[in-house]
Amino acid sequence: MKLVIDETRCKGCNLCTKVCPYKIFKEGKKANRKGIIVPELDRPERCPNCRLMHLYGRTICGVCQLTCPDQAIHWVEEQPYEPKKVAIEY
Amino acid sequence: MSFEDWYRQDRLPHIYCAGCGNGTVVNCTLAAVEQMAWKKEDTVFVSGIGCSSRAPGYIVTDSLHTTHGRAIAFATGVKLANPDLHVVVFTGDGDLAAIGGNHFIHACRRNIDLTVVCMNNQIYGMTGGQGSPTTPLGCLSSTTPYGCAETPFDLCDLAIAAGANYVSRWTSYHVKELEKAVLAGLQTPGFSFIEALVQCPTAFGRRNKFKQVADHVEYLRSHSMLKAKHDRLLEQGEPVPTDMFIVGELMRRNRPALGVKP
Amino acid sequence: MTRTEFWQGNTACAEGALAAGCRFFGGYPITPSTEIAEHMAVKLPKKGGVFIQMEDEIASMASIIGASWTGARAMTATSGPGFSLMMENIGYAAMTETPCVVVNIQRGGPSTGQPTMGAQGDMMQCRFGSHGDYSVIALCPASVQEMYELTAKAFNLADKYRVPVFLMADEVVGHMREKIIIPDSVEQVPRKALVKGTLPFKADSDLIPGFPQFGKGYGVHVTGLTHDERGYPCATNPKLHESLVMRLVDKIESARREMADFDILNPDAEIVFIAYGAPVRTVQQIMHDHPHDNIGFLRIRTVWPFPEYALGEFKNARHFLVPEMNLGQIAREIERHTKVSVTSLPKLGGELHTPAELLAAREAYR
Repeated sequence: MKLVIDETRCKGCNLCTKVCPYKIFKEGKKANRKGIIVPELDRPERCPNCRLMHLYGRTICGVCQLTCPDQAIHWVEEQPYEPKKVAIEY
Repeated sequence: MSFEDWYRQDRLPHIYCAGCGNGTVVNCTLAAVEQMAWKKEDTVFVSGIGCSSRAPGYIVTDSLHTTHGRAIAFATGVKLANPDLHVVVFTGDGDLAAIGGNHFIHACRRNIDLTVVCMNNQIYGMTGGQGSPTTPLGCLSSTTPYGCAETPFDLCDLAIAAGANYVSRWTSYHVKELEKAVLAGLQTPGFSFIEALVQCPTAFGRRNKFKQVADHVEYLRSHSMLKAKHDRLLEQGEPVPTDMFIVGELMRRNRPALGVKP
Repeated sequence: MTRTEFWQGNTACAEGALAAGCRFFGGYPITPSTEIAEHMAVKLPKKGGVFIQMEDEIASMASIIGASWTGARAMTATSGPGFSLMMENIGYAAMTETPCVVVNIQRGGPSTGQPTMGAQGDMMQCRFGSHGDYSVIALCPASVQEMYELTAKAFNLADKYRVPVFLMADEVVGHMREKIIIPDSVEQVPRKALVKGTLPFKADSDLIPGFPQFGKGYGVHVTGLTHDERGYPCATNPKLHESLVMRLVDKIESARREMADFDILNPDAEIVFIAYGAPVRTVQQIMHDHPHDNIGFLRIRTVWPFPEYALGEFKNARHFLVPEMNLGQIAREIERHTKVSVTSLPKLGGELHTPAELLAAREAYR
């Protein structure tokens, strides 16, 4: 699973950055189109939910999702790598 | 199935400010409701007026957004007329303790089978930051520009004294414990009162020197004292610092309840 | 099986409510309406209903609105001081279109006034008491029989028009004891349920939306803020607010002919009495004593919305005399609807008008 911050909802309060027990977030650098500096994932491999949600069938930790006042944090299936067709010019 | 299913997705993002603790408390309440495995048709959320009370408008069940301070009276009517419905009340510190004080203590006395989640940000947020009955002594607000001169209520003490069956207090930092506390409140028959201390960065935080949202949450975390530690300090005769919030399950008892299906 | 009883007005009111299917009463004791609460406390649990004495009148009104949303027919009973307290929540019921019945056994006012003497001083307050523009229905009984019948009718009107309906009685009618004939059953017209899939606050052609009862899976959000057809708050939209408030008012005003209830006696008279509530008894007495004097009488049972077209039935009228136990609250309303001269005959203090007084007034204007 992969942690995704929904940019249509995030208001840049950075509470997720502060409360995560595994310190997977870091504060963002650039403002997005709405002017909000969305937190970035610093070390997503440390998130136990991303790694273990399928194994246990339920949310492990999930403190960031509960804390986020704007319901902006979701876990989504990691898309498998898709082969792309590329044209090569000689 | 997660607590996200209880939100009206077409109405999000909500009107709460960036970093508002209310969003966190609603998440925890809905996570607890989700664990109770209640059906959405059988759950009703009632609220008064204020930032806290805008929450039911974002929840997918039947909800009643009533007049200031009277949410508990409306909820009493809903619960008694149809005891099969599960009624949860969202309210704020001003809504509950100022204008709604009378309804609060009578609901505790009657022990009506409701669960009240009070989002205590120690200020009147929606109307722009006026002092509330829970604003701490000396704090600034728009109607206490020289520092609040009145001692605040301890809402949990009020609830315990008036007879509530389950009383607990947590903060918006302690999300997991808050979820468990709301769950215990929903499971306990009779009046359950859960006070959640939350940060209000726009009204309270800005005036009281909390520059960042995280500063205020850090303050809530560092000034929370578990009830067990508080009791130990009292036993040992040590002085308890006055600006600490006592968090934890403060009361659980089995007084006869009203409105419970036999 | 109809049966005959000798009841107090308040008892008849409570029994009329029970016969109409009232299953929730949330109230607070206040003279002169306490007997209704006491009667309901005894009778409601036997019928599977709920009686609760709330901590004040504000909570009473709130609890009946909450109960009404679960589908129960709910009512409360109060008098002047409690009525003033209930005003905010009455406005809430009007805005959210919650059906409920509020009985006001009027007493001498203002303030604590005369708890044990009748008056009709709350008539304007009933129509305009809460802030903002809205419209309500008010019924005025003048006998114990009417206390029973009009209370039962109030529930049907409330459910049909989704509005708080007021039974504006007074302490005289509330506390008097008279013979009453009880019908074997009372017609109950249930609420129109909301069709699943329709927006909860979208009105049909009669300007009344279907009722989305709690617990049936409608997922309705009810709010006192200005709301759109989905029920969501949209408080900063001027057009939406205007259309919502206009609909709330037109819903009642456009239907006033259907719900009107009044009697016209001697429509060709020149001097016409207009009365409602307790003064009706005095007018009935003088008409009984002088049957050939052609005394015109418009006796109104639905005071709000005011049936102003009834005034036009008196084609030869030169003078309307309005005996009221207040300083002319409805006389003021009549004045603005007619060119015929209107004289208010106020009587404060709790005593009824005497027949002699009304006859003297009639002589003075002949």
